[in-house]
Amino acid sequence: MSTDARKESLRYLFERVVTPLGYKFSPDEQLVDDLLEAEVQLEQDHGAPFCPCQGRTGVREEDMKIVCPCIPFHRAHFDAMRRCWCGLYVHLDVTDPDSLPQFPPDEV
Amino acid sequence: MVDEVFVYALSTCPWCRKTKQWFDDSRIAYDFVDVDKLPDDEQDAAADKAYELSGGRRFPVVVINGEVIVGYSPDKFLEHLKGWGGGS
Repeated sequence: MSTDARKESLRYLFERVVTPLGYKFSPDEQLVDDLLEAEVQLEQDHGAPFCPCQGRTGVREEDMKIVCPCIPFHRAHFDAMRRCWCGLYVHLDVTDPDSLPQFPPDEV
Repeated sequence: MVDEVFVYALSTCPWCRKTKQWFDDSRIAYDFVDVDKLPDDEQDAAADKAYELSGGRRFPVVVINGEVIVGYSPDKFLEHLKGWGGGS
């Protein structure tokens, strides 16, 4: 499957997972495209669409917590930022994603 | 006073790129490592260092004059930059 085709299939699948969680793709289309492209590459290299902005440890159980969409594993943190860590998803009511701060969970 | 800035980054992460761009645009010298681009034997050590500093696995991890900032946050960068009139 080509990278573009896989990006579209991830977009189709992820949308159905995150909408019930109260999230949508960021209005920043370029960021979304860059992130989906990175995830397709990570999937090809490492076997799953891992978050492009979080590091893997090699421990499967831990690394599953950063397979996109990883919102359920980081719910309180992401809800506080109104976005996920890499910014691929934002809360449904967000219209200006650039205004959303990025901070670690211990600053929630 | 010359600020010491080091960025732990992932080449796949747009926020890591934005962080580097911010320092470039601000003409602030910094060193960085794209952890995922390192050879395997160096990658674990660099990743462990970033995780130890940040208490997690999120990138970017920015160290400014010994202070650790996790995430793309220009306001916090400015707070810890001394040469730029930030901090005391």
